[in-house]
Amino acid sequence: MSENQQNEALQLRLRAALRRVDPGEGFAPGVMARIAAEPARTARPARAGAVAGWLAFGLAASLVLAALLAHEWQARRLEQGREARRQLLEALRVTDEKLNLAYRAVNSQERAASAEHSGA
Amino acid sequence: MSCSRWRWLLAPVATLAASVALAAPPAMLNLPDFDALARKATESVNISLDTSLLGLAAGFLDSSNPDDAATKELIAGLKGIYVRSFTFDQDFAYPSAQVDQVRRQLAAPAWQRLVQVSNSRDRTHVDVYVSVDRGVANGLAIIASEPREFTIVNIVGSIDLAKLHRLEGKFGIPKLDLPPEGRDGKDGKSDK
Repeated sequence: MSENQQNEALQLRLRAALRRVDPGEGFAPGVMARIAAEPARTARPARAGAVAGWLAFGLAASLVLAALLAHEWQARRLEQGREARRQLLEALRVTDEKLNLAYRAVNSQERAASAEHSGA
Repeated sequence: MSCSRWRWLLAPVATLAASVALAAPPAMLNLPDFDALARKATESVNISLDTSLLGLAAGFLDSSNPDDAATKELIAGLKGIYVRSFTFDQDFAYPSAQVDQVRRQLAAPAWQRLVQVSNSRDRTHVDVYVSVDRGVANGLAIIASEPREFTIVNIVGSIDLAKLHRLEGKFGIPKLDLPPEGRDGKDGKSDK
């Protein structure tokens, strides 16, 4: 067999092997069914979703806790401030009362001394 | 163990002790706890307001209210207010030892007695001291003993007594209707 004849025979065999073949009506549903039946491909997104869910829950819980702590701190600060104000006014009241006590005593002594002086 | 081994500690400890002593304001008295008095008293007032608590209290005074604004102005120069007051249901139920402990701290030259009055009729005794540092009053102490009441007030910082007097009749500070100074007249009785 000559070289040309061998080439032609090879081309014929290749054309025969690479001819267009209709896959048939069941091909596409078959492929889809196999994709749906693949367990490994669906498990990964589910796990990632669960982690994201827990992260979101943790974040929300942290925010709620922080808001509660801030509210508690503010309430305590308000209470301390009101108590400090009450104590301040009470302290000023006592101070003024005792200064007036001293003032009255000094005045009373002065009056007694002047009465004694005018009497003599 | 040789003492010289610890000698290196002396300098830092002395420095620390000095800084602690400096940290306490000079006009601040070391008030005893008065536990014995508190147990006998029918009514006790124990107030300790340091700089931070005074600042906190000032934050709760409304500057748009004239009375609050006056109080704010009054306490602006203060570093502390300490009050111990005890009321009893019997005459002179309180021991003098703890009072003397306070009096001993009120010594010259740091403290000067401004007023010492005794009223034999009312059986009251009031001492007013001021703490003076380089010619500037930076503290006030009042020791008032009455038959059924004993009070110590220690104010640290400069306080304007005239401003305090102007607050009379406000916030429960009693209005005493004292007679005008230097004028003869009826006795200035409290209308409490």
